[in-house]
Amino acid sequence: MKKIFCCLVFVACSVAVQAVERTILLGPKTIGAGWKDNILLEGRHFAAAKAGDVVTVYNDRAKRTAQAAFQDPKDWQGVASEYGCFNVAGPFRMVLTDDIINKVRERGVFIGGHDYRILRVTLTPGEEFVETIVWKGPSVQMKSDWSASAEIPARSFKTLQEGDGLRLHVSKVEQDAAAKLMDFTWNVLEKATDGIPVGQDGCTYYINDNGPLIKLRLAGTGDNTAMRIGGKGYRLDKIGIVQFVGQRSEDLTDVQRAPKEYELQPGELFHGEKMFPNDWSGNLRLTAEPFQECTENDVLILHYELLPRQDGVTPQMSFRENKGKWYDITGAKDPVWYPLDGNDVVLTFDEVILDKLKTKGLVVTGLGFVLTRIELVTAN
Amino acid sequence: MVAALLLGLCTPAQAGKEQISPDPVNPKATPEARQLYRTLLSLYGEKAVSGVVANIDWNTREADNVYKWTNQWPVINVFDFINIHASKDVNPKGWLDYSDMTAVLQWHEQGGVVGMMWHWQVKANNGTNLTCSPGKKPGETSFDPSKVFVDGTPENKQALHDVDQVAGYLKTLQKKGIPIIWRPFHEAAGNTYEFEGGGAWFWWGAKGPEVYKKLWRWMYDQLVNRHGLNNLLWVWNSQMDDSPWYPGDDVVDIVGRDNYAALMYPLWKEYKQLSAEYPTKMITLAECGNGDEVKMSLWSKIWKQGSRWLWFMPWYDNAYNEGNSDEHQFAGEAWWKDAFATGTVVDRDEWKKLLNR
Repeated sequence: MKKIFCCLVFVACSVAVQAVERTILLGPKTIGAGWKDNILLEGRHFAAAKAGDVVTVYNDRAKRTAQAAFQDPKDWQGVASEYGCFNVAGPFRMVLTDDIINKVRERGVFIGGHDYRILRVTLTPGEEFVETIVWKGPSVQMKSDWSASAEIPARSFKTLQEGDGLRLHVSKVEQDAAAKLMDFTWNVLEKATDGIPVGQDGCTYYINDNGPLIKLRLAGTGDNTAMRIGGKGYRLDKIGIVQFVGQRSEDLTDVQRAPKEYELQPGELFHGEKMFPNDWSGNLRLTAEPFQECTENDVLILHYELLPRQDGVTPQMSFRENKGKWYDITGAKDPVWYPLDGNDVVLTFDEVILDKLKTKGLVVTGLGFVLTRIELVTAN
Repeated sequence: MVAALLLGLCTPAQAGKEQISPDPVNPKATPEARQLYRTLLSLYGEKAVSGVVANIDWNTREADNVYKWTNQWPVINVFDFINIHASKDVNPKGWLDYSDMTAVLQWHEQGGVVGMMWHWQVKANNGTNLTCSPGKKPGETSFDPSKVFVDGTPENKQALHDVDQVAGYLKTLQKKGIPIIWRPFHEAAGNTYEFEGGGAWFWWGAKGPEVYKKLWRWMYDQLVNRHGLNNLLWVWNSQMDDSPWYPGDDVVDIVGRDNYAALMYPLWKEYKQLSAEYPTKMITLAECGNGDEVKMSLWSKIWKQGSRWLWFMPWYDNAYNEGNSDEHQFAGEAWWKDAFATGTVVDRDEWKKLLNR
């Protein structure tokens, strides 16, 4: 009997250990301006994932105009239409579907966007979220001109708390469908609810602070309209409140760590760990901005570390113009390759290079190394 | 003069100023339009005129920002006819009223210059939305600019209807003696020449340069000859390397350039190129601002590099003006303070003195 009890405890503990919000990536990773930064969340994290599981990206330093995306490395499109570009206000999430899982298991997923910093990314089993349907229609078809809306009574939000999600169940979803969640005065609940991308599986808006709750409560109780849901290109059928009922684990086993971030010192154009793998997938773009006041004979010094040797691979680096077809920065028809032997690479600016740097900027490309630092040294 | 140019002692604007026509292209231009043109010409190459664009409807919110930051008013305030279909004088359900020109009149009365542009929206393919974007998708438009000149076509009827509406507003200003910097059909070539596969961004460029030039002349004819609007200075926008799209010296007063990666060096190159391509026209920075990845160079650096744009006009930031962003997306306080501090930028007070107002 004692043996059976112990087994049951073990099984229960195993389930509990499995069924927690688990950190899969540890930041910080700064996602700066202009959609140029991102981080690849490795596919291995999704080996045991299933539809309904939730990826949560905790972040800080988000500007009010910050946006994010979950992008497929294959084509840089959103892993689903609703994840191609959305506003950031607090932690943001992606609910996995079978289709998404197929993509992210094979290739991983880029978390990108602009103007925020990733602190950590977690994966939570779907069963840790419990959903209660609080509104069942009648369904409202959101027209393409944004003119239609559904009025949701205050009683639907009686149990809604900070941290909960509002899941919109939808049908007849068209391309570029979007939802707008407003309070009873027709103002958006917050900036993030002004055009939430709606996919075939609807969308979920998480209440990350008290502000939206206060706005909903101002409407009163009972049948008073507390929220208006509008948008375009979908039919709103039901609304559910999603609540997290699980636990959070601090276990960092197998966690993926973001590359170390450094504050740029004067003269530095890059400082970090940028991988240029042997499959040619690595590149680093620099805009024309830092080169505006450069003159001939100024130099770029590139520091790197070689990756472990691999048969048939010659570590090398080249410099291209940051535009169009990435022609060589020297103006040469064929790319100029710098073989890497461990010594720094130095690019000296002549008239042609200088003109291209100042008008188009620079792309560093190559394979077999980790770029660690780029210094701009002026001749004067 | 050539020697001085070679020595870098004068700019293309200063070097070639005598080639620029002393008067607007419209021989019937009103005295006010002539005065505006001549004053701009007198400054060209020596100083730049400051400009802003209204935040969507008739307003001076961006000018107010500049004043708040610098205690100086910009000279030009550009308004956009983008929402004429939602104007209450033609649409009872409209949300703005272009016929109430209080903000425009006040700007003029305060000594400012009035500019007008037109993001000319037409019905999208879905039949409900309005858009400028050409294409086959529901939210884009198949509106064919080549049919604007064909009497009786839906395009012709729509274009005449819209032009008549806009002409009505412009006439109100002409009657009050207000000259207008008029910049229609902007950025027509889109990114056609920027990279392979590029194309027009707006329907007016969708059928290529020949149709576009005809369209420009059609509008010139409609406004100048049919409606008798002689208070307009006509500004054409270059997208660089797009001379086949230039409507012609006889219907263009000023050549403009829009640049949202406005760095000092590429701006200088573009200014030099346009000055060489259009030596009889003044060259202006019709729109500018920070780009997605780069911040616009400070005006002091742009000027030092050698650009002598006639005026500049950073774009508006609705998020900033609505209080949803802490930083102006296109040109904020530091940029404007630097610009006025150079002594190379004319503000509204200086402009008024130039006009003895």
